[in-house]
Amino acid sequence: MPKAAQTPLGRTARLLDLVPYLASHQGIELLSLAKEFDVSQSQMVADLTTLWMCGLPGYTPLELMELSFESGFVTIHNAETLAHPRTLSDEESIALLLGLDLVIESLPDDRKDLKAIALDLVARLSARSSLPAKLSAIPIIPGSIRSIIEKAVREKSGVEIVYHSAYSDTVSTRVVTPIELRDDSGFEYLWAACQSAKALRSFRVDRIQSVALTTVEKTATEASQDNHKINYTIFAHSREREVMERFALEPDALGAAIETSSYSREWIRRSILASSGGAELTAPADIRSEIQRAAQSLLDRYTSQ
Amino acid sequence: MPTVSRKIERLINLTIALLATKRYLTKSEIFRSVDGYEGSAETKERMFERDKDDLRNLGVVIEVGSFDPVFEDEAGYRIKPERYSLDLGQITGVQIALLSLAAQAWRGAALDDAAHSALTKLRSIGVESDLDGVPAITPRLNAAHSDFVVITTAISKRQRISFTYLGSSLERQSRIIEPFAIATRNSHWYVAGNDTEKSQIRTFRLDRINGEITSMPVSGGYEIPEGFDVFESLSNLQSAIIATIDIRKGKAQLLRNTALSIVDKGEWDQITVEYFDSQTLIDLVLWHGEDALVKAPIELRKDVISKLHEIVLLHA
Repeated sequence: MPKAAQTPLGRTARLLDLVPYLASHQGIELLSLAKEFDVSQSQMVADLTTLWMCGLPGYTPLELMELSFESGFVTIHNAETLAHPRTLSDEESIALLLGLDLVIESLPDDRKDLKAIALDLVARLSARSSLPAKLSAIPIIPGSIRSIIEKAVREKSGVEIVYHSAYSDTVSTRVVTPIELRDDSGFEYLWAACQSAKALRSFRVDRIQSVALTTVEKTATEASQDNHKINYTIFAHSREREVMERFALEPDALGAAIETSSYSREWIRRSILASSGGAELTAPADIRSEIQRAAQSLLDRYTSQ
Repeated sequence: MPTVSRKIERLINLTIALLATKRYLTKSEIFRSVDGYEGSAETKERMFERDKDDLRNLGVVIEVGSFDPVFEDEAGYRIKPERYSLDLGQITGVQIALLSLAAQAWRGAALDDAAHSALTKLRSIGVESDLDGVPAITPRLNAAHSDFVVITTAISKRQRISFTYLGSSLERQSRIIEPFAIATRNSHWYVAGNDTEKSQIRTFRLDRINGEITSMPVSGGYEIPEGFDVFESLSNLQSAIIATIDIRKGKAQLLRNTALSIVDKGEWDQITVEYFDSQTLIDLVLWHGEDALVKAPIELRKDVISKLHEIVLLHA
């Protein structure tokens, strides 16, 4: 959906940027041009018509910019004064600098050459902007892992992953066929058909410790098993912000016992322990006593040594 | 909207005239030669003042000066092409491809529009992007606070911002900071700057900002330290302490991953880790339950024991 900047200033900026773009893309289709600038075709025609009236003082045909777009293809001439793209705004520089830092961190380790080129671009952009601070974007996923997973998703090939499951605290090696990468509440997940479980599984990409391409036999994958959902109730006693973030609760809900759910008993138990007394599990009773026993047995270990 | 179009035409014509001139143009020269300045002297004057402000808001630098002895006391105006145009030096197709990846990292996220307009300018340099020269990766920046752009604009204009921050007990703290930089690590966004009330550099996590972020109208009120780095400023706050922890073989991966050293003790491994905040480490140790035991320092051990007492009491 085009979202034309209709303020006079927004349009002026667009027209100024339109001239160098046209100068470097002579004969571009009107439709592609409208798409590049995210406006409707009729808006683009209106923009080009306005531009037609502009030029050097004198404003005779000799001085005016020469535009032609009736054929559906756009050309521009006599526009040398505006033919160089405008300098980047600070906001544009911020966007590129953060993006470049992310790209540098995401490149595979064997592409030191590209990292050096990107670092040089960071230096050039920083030198030309008024932003003295370092803008860093450190991704959660190492570049070597990302590039292999994305290749596997594209080519529908299998991968062998070494995966750390945080709930069971085990590291296992599995062969999976990647299906897609999906974002969920700030984390990236790899959805894949798992050969050993014969089911669809999701893996948090930042917990994949290593990955290698491999071949898999094409077996029909059963649908994801419907795991059992566990309802539980917690009460926050202190460090409420940590509790809220750990259990993904709304800040306004705290102050009373809150019922929520998880697919993993293991996760509930560990999360309550890791809240260091900030959160109390009030239900279900069996997990509650399990937590009490676990904490007591740990306590015995500490006091006996 | 013919008047609006007239205004836009006038702004473009003024830009062209000021860019093309080799010397400063006086106001009267501008009124005489640039199309669109009409009406009484006062009207033209007002139009011109507004146009100058508008162009400056678009980031166009208009220089004021006078070196022509004839117009000694009359100011002249021009736009220097080298300050108007993008100049990144010699650019290759691979560089354009890397910059495209950088811009595309914002798709659907806060600076999508700015990244897109930057990319349009880069494409106007006329160098074809060499996509085959870079690996087919598509790193992404995740969505941040809905007022992300307020922060980046404030950083570029050196404006103070104010917001409500959720403290560790969810108490609402009013903060006014002079933002220096914004950064992301492990899918969290941080803004760092000078906390005006505390006169100290502080770092805030964007997802802990409650409600909207507003910027103060005054621009240019402070300076950003050269080379300031959000994450360096974070680690400089406290000095690191070393803890010794016993972890079961093959277990406690999250602790194992951060180990400085590992000593094989048979059924267990003894590791050392560096930490800044004892509570964060205690949380992580307790997450591993029976598979992790703190050995030293003794204060940390005592803290773990007291937290375990609390958990037992709470769940009795």
